[in-house]
Amino acid sequence: MSKVVEISPTTRHEGHSKLVLKVNDEGIIERGDWLSITPVRGVEKLAVGKTYEQVPKIASRVCGICPIAHTLAATEAMEASMGVEIPEDAYLLRLILQAANRLHSHALHDILALPDMYIPGTDTKINPFTPEEPVRSVAKRIQTLRMIGQTIGEIVGGEAVHPSNPRVGGMYKNITPRAKAKIYDLAKQALPLAREQMEFMISVFNNWEKRDWAEMCGREVAIPKEFGYHQQGYMAADPMYGSSSLDEHPTWHPERWLEVRPWDWYMGEEEITLDDPNYPIGGTTKAGAKAWPQMQACTGVPLYDGQPVEVGPRARMSIYKNYDRKGAMGLNVAREMEYMDSVYTMIEAADALNTSGATVADVIPQGTGEIGWAANEAPRGCDVHLAKVRNGKVEWFSMLVPTTWNFPTCSRALTGAPWELAEVIVRAYDPCVSCATHMIVLDEDNKLVAQKLLE
Amino acid sequence: MDYLGQYKAVFKAKSGCEDVLKKSQDGGIVTSLFAYALEKGIIDGAIVAGPGSEPYKPEPMIATTVEELFAARGTKYSISPNLALIKEATRSYGLDKIGIVGTPCQCQAVRKGQLYPIGLRDVPDKIALVLGIFCMENFPYQGLYQMVEDHCATKMDNVTKMDIGKGKFSVYTERGVNSAIPLKVTHKYEQPGCHVCLDYVSNFADISTGSVGSPDGWSTVFVRSAVGEKVWNDAVKAGWIVAEEADLKGQFGIPMVDKLAHTKIDGNAKTLEARKNGLLKGLKPLRNPYI
Repeated sequence: MSKVVEISPTTRHEGHSKLVLKVNDEGIIERGDWLSITPVRGVEKLAVGKTYEQVPKIASRVCGICPIAHTLAATEAMEASMGVEIPEDAYLLRLILQAANRLHSHALHDILALPDMYIPGTDTKINPFTPEEPVRSVAKRIQTLRMIGQTIGEIVGGEAVHPSNPRVGGMYKNITPRAKAKIYDLAKQALPLAREQMEFMISVFNNWEKRDWAEMCGREVAIPKEFGYHQQGYMAADPMYGSSSLDEHPTWHPERWLEVRPWDWYMGEEEITLDDPNYPIGGTTKAGAKAWPQMQACTGVPLYDGQPVEVGPRARMSIYKNYDRKGAMGLNVAREMEYMDSVYTMIEAADALNTSGATVADVIPQGTGEIGWAANEAPRGCDVHLAKVRNGKVEWFSMLVPTTWNFPTCSRALTGAPWELAEVIVRAYDPCVSCATHMIVLDEDNKLVAQKLLE
Repeated sequence: MDYLGQYKAVFKAKSGCEDVLKKSQDGGIVTSLFAYALEKGIIDGAIVAGPGSEPYKPEPMIATTVEELFAARGTKYSISPNLALIKEATRSYGLDKIGIVGTPCQCQAVRKGQLYPIGLRDVPDKIALVLGIFCMENFPYQGLYQMVEDHCATKMDNVTKMDIGKGKFSVYTERGVNSAIPLKVTHKYEQPGCHVCLDYVSNFADISTGSVGSPDGWSTVFVRSAVGEKVWNDAVKAGWIVAEEADLKGQFGIPMVDKLAHTKIDGNAKTLEARKNGLLKGLKPLRNPYI
């Protein structure tokens, strides 16, 4: 007889989400539903009727962790709809911005993931805030990496959070040679730190996979061999930057994408039959309460070729670099392996940048209402924005963000894991939930009105 | 009312560098201090009023070398929104230690920005040296243009120096034809915003300087903060600045500065009072910025 347990809210990630888990008598998950319960942002509706300059700024406000990805994706969606080609130096500046964002975001994730992990060779869980070694120097290294990522983002983007410099047609201004030198110096400083950090984190994640148990709710919970495995595919547009409908060979394909209702995907109304007051942060939801995932989920369920897919570091590594490690730790390790690429990208792009070059396109057509899309490889995965711009005004705008893709995929990865460790799998996806929340249009019978997006 | 602000020391000083003095307004204090700070790495760039698109129309610029700094020598009696660059200096210019020169109101804004850095993320700790200048009032460029072209009958392009002193607004030209008009004539061209300002000698700067209170070719300098004191003493030691004791008693010494400060601040306090009582039509009461 299976029981239902609810962990709400989940913690140590951005946004507000919960887990509704059907477990067997041994506490192993038979079916897991991970869903967003963040209130709707409504950015897509706010965008309608605004100018193409305003929308990327509004879109970036959806979240404070990857505003750079949203700014770039929205800006490029406008450019794709209007047919604007940006100068080479503007692209290089955007590339530096992208890599800086990835560097700081991955470092932030390390802080969030570490408390689940053990110091290799011991049964001591890592508290990243302890003043004791060896953790202290790791925490300092993480903060230094974040400082470097944020400072470079600030120099190139004008602002580390919600960058002001990117604009439709390129970038508002180029940087000075001194700023270029500063970027170069900072990236060089990050290089050895990123390598040490990557090696440390990978050894910690490998150590978890070798362990037989992990302490949770005051007891030893067995770690299964295939922890967080799923059989879904991967989706990525680029190892580093992205793709758009202007590309000669676009690497994201809108015709393969379909969005369905959470109603068809998640569990129906369930009564909570299992609780544990010892679960961290006040215990799980009390038995007797009700959960209704298909009604409460605030996201659509996007499918690629009819299936949920995984996006993020492992998707990029699998598609472009033949990475093949599965499971929650496979995903964590893939993320760590992206550190070096971010730093080298900044160094190479700064090297190639001409600080006297033009950064704004000569001609900016005002748009004919054609659909354009841009896929940006945000730290958490492929972030696709779609737009229609006519005469300078945005007619239609949609954001298809990384964690939306990961919700159903991660839900499947939960199967087979003990429920106490479900959050460890969720955190491996480095979820960023708030931007994943979508407006859903219902008709009188509470049925979703199907939106015909691509003609 | 605090007319001259808090200060650690007051001097009569001028630049120790001939190149600075060649085109400086008075003692060349701001240029010399920034040049010294740049050379010593106290600042890695300074926001100054550089040459703009038209003669004597200042435009804020970031000088990162002494040469660039020299291009901004001399006073331009019009508005240069130096604070507009303070954030950009830390962004696309990549500066970590910023020097900024400003009028009293601009120094106030810098300090307020440091206290409440709204829209100035990561900027407050990068402001290394704030130099203030004495300021009675400022002119919009159109007003200055009219004063020079119409009242002084001089073409703007020919002007080599403008000066306000001894109750006159004087214009010097390349051809040697100089003209001056009484300050009374210029009053109507002042920015109305200046009439509510209660600061004459940049009370919030690290070091403030101006011509009043010292003989021609010299400047009066108030050293106010610990940061300012260190930079000042080192610059004097290094020979960038020649400093002498200020004339604390004489009619044209510090008492003159005090007198003008009273003129400005008391006058403007009256304007504020009148606005508060609704005596100036169309102008709303203002909050006292000093409480």
